[in-house]
Amino acid sequence: MSTNGLRTGRGKRLAASTAGIAAVALTLAACGGGDSGVGGGGDEPPAAAEECPCEIRFAWWGSDTRHESTQQIIDAFQAENPDITVVPDFTDWDGYWDKLATSVAAGDTPDVITQEERYISDYATKNVLADMSELDIDTSKVDDGVLAGGQIDGAQYGIPTGINAYALVADPEIFADAGVDVPDDTTWTWEDYVTTANAVSEGAGEGVWGTQDYGFNEAGLNVLARQRGETLYTPDGELGVSEETVADFFQVSLDLMENGGQPDAARTVEYQAAGPEGSLLGTNQGAMGVWWTNQLGALTDSSGHELELLRLPGESAGERTGMYFKPAMFYSVSADTAYPEASAKFVDFLLNSQEAADIMLTDRGLPANTEVREGILGDLSPTDQKVADFMADIEDEIVDTPPVPPHGSAEMADIMERVNTEVLFERITPEEAATQFIDEVNAAIGG
Amino acid sequence: MSVIQEISRSKRTVSPRRKGDGRWALFFLAPWFVGLALITAGPMGASLYLSFTDYDLLSAPEWIGFENYSRMFDDPRFVNSLQVTFTYVFVSVPLQLAAALGLALLLDKGMRGLALYRSVYYLPSLLGGSVAIAILWRQIFGADGLVNQVLAIFGVQGQGWVSHPDYALGTLMALNVWTFGAPMVIFLAGLRQIPQMYYEAASIDGASKFRQFRAITLPLLTPIIFFNLVLQLIEAFQSFTRAFVVSGGNGGPSDSTLLYTLYLYLKGFGSLDMGYASAMAWFLLLIIGGMTVVNFLASKYWVFYDD
Repeated sequence: MSTNGLRTGRGKRLAASTAGIAAVALTLAACGGGDSGVGGGGDEPPAAAEECPCEIRFAWWGSDTRHESTQQIIDAFQAENPDITVVPDFTDWDGYWDKLATSVAAGDTPDVITQEERYISDYATKNVLADMSELDIDTSKVDDGVLAGGQIDGAQYGIPTGINAYALVADPEIFADAGVDVPDDTTWTWEDYVTTANAVSEGAGEGVWGTQDYGFNEAGLNVLARQRGETLYTPDGELGVSEETVADFFQVSLDLMENGGQPDAARTVEYQAAGPEGSLLGTNQGAMGVWWTNQLGALTDSSGHELELLRLPGESAGERTGMYFKPAMFYSVSADTAYPEASAKFVDFLLNSQEAADIMLTDRGLPANTEVREGILGDLSPTDQKVADFMADIEDEIVDTPPVPPHGSAEMADIMERVNTEVLFERITPEEAATQFIDEVNAAIGG
Repeated sequence: MSVIQEISRSKRTVSPRRKGDGRWALFFLAPWFVGLALITAGPMGASLYLSFTDYDLLSAPEWIGFENYSRMFDDPRFVNSLQVTFTYVFVSVPLQLAAALGLALLLDKGMRGLALYRSVYYLPSLLGGSVAIAILWRQIFGADGLVNQVLAIFGVQGQGWVSHPDYALGTLMALNVWTFGAPMVIFLAGLRQIPQMYYEAASIDGASKFRQFRAITLPLLTPIIFFNLVLQLIEAFQSFTRAFVVSGGNGGPSDSTLLYTLYLYLKGFGSLDMGYASAMAWFLLLIIGGMTVVNFLASKYWVFYDD
């Protein structure tokens, strides 16, 4: 009896452990099947390949307010999709690209990645990003021109989160103090810009300048190039701007500095490094500056003045208009995510859900989805309202969206900054700067 | 004979226990060895391999032999970063050591509150590498910063020091000189080692204070000076945080503060050219190694050991 009992006991235990092993093996097989289904790309029906509950990671950069609002959006998404867990992975802008590159190198790519136009080509051409047109994401409410901003060689590697425009920000109070009229932005030329800035500096007296140097940002060069029928980058990923245009672009800074329209070179470099809060406009020391429209909020807050958005100079005087809508950021999906469906569902929610838009407002640019954009107009702060109105004003004047900058364009910002500094300190002439700029950019995007 | 035998016997009896100790020692050292292998030696080996590849972090490395190394000298920014770094090292390190020695001599007088002064002057060494100090430096040497406000009292119109390409590196060197505390403490210890009797004998012979410094202090301090020099040179070649923060991360204005390690970082993480950055890291190791060897060879001619 006793031995029998022992045997049955052992037998039961054996049976139990066998069952356990089998269960583990089955689970492993299921996981393996899921993985290979994703890797193989469509042999099995995708629904069978992906087994949720699952966990996806969403990477973004930004400030604390963005982290908080994004967490709210994630919570809202999870409430709708209880089987999907979204793990937040955020950092500030400076650390973001270091972290992303090392995660990718370590084979630990986030499933949903926030991208930016300077970097998206690098990641897309290295097969890190999935073609999102093959995923189940509704992009019908996004303007085709804006959507094209995330396409490289016909594949949709990123979907724009929202749009910004590069515009001139003016402080009417300082214009009034200086006794200068705020220019009519529908007609003004680049010459008007220089004379206006010089007049403000003269009228406003010591310590206040007409404008802050615009030469550190290639967006300004792109607008000037487009006004002349050129473009910074061609659709083939080459430099499309002439030496003459680059030289003229830098010459404007020199003209301004010479007549006091903008501060001396060393000060300019300092203001450049100080961000919106420490800028001339932000510290009430200047009447104008060129900024992205999403920076109007920060500028207004730190200046305490009612700032205005103006078209860049030369829009009516050139061959065509040069201003454009820039995708503020992109949502991208990793090419080797284990859960493309869940990732797509999440991106679709970010892009198309009114609930998400109501939380996000214009934090990722004025929403690319025009329907949810309409939906949030009533909730916008006065500053954001101003941006939305301005964007609506210029929408019809915009000819097209510039192509995605090519692989290597992440170095553009650095090159621009160096060349412009050399010009400001008069170490090289604008013509020499143009040659140097074109050589260096060609080296960066060619290699 | 018997004594020797006894000693050798006692040695023999001790040795098995020693062996056991060795095993225990290895056991207790194991965490350190594992750390060395995983955190130092492993990555170093990997970077040596990567230095011979074209590697952008996003796709697999591709073997290209010595191309990264040969490419360096055709790269004007690389050559510039070498110039900037050598200027930085060879100007700031001697000044820093001179400041450290000068203060050590003053503090060695045995004044009241010595411990306090020593701590106060040591403080910058602890803080100097930090981001906070680098940010403070930006403010002090800014166009409307403290330096210019002081200059304005004397009617001098100052520059935006950190944002002018001619002066920005100077502010970094000043920062390095300011962190003289660590070598100062070592100098102080060295000064305490010099026997008082030499000075007594010298003053009986009527030697002036300056003569005493030249004939006694300096020669007897040369081993300490040498030690500090080697240490500070190595550290200065690897300076990164200061340049990164003061220049806003890009070595500007117009590459005037582009220290070697900063360019290495920009290449690796900015341009995603990790192969090139790895090659730069190994080249820096060669430079520092070379400098240290030269230092040791030259030391035969000027370092005086008292024993």
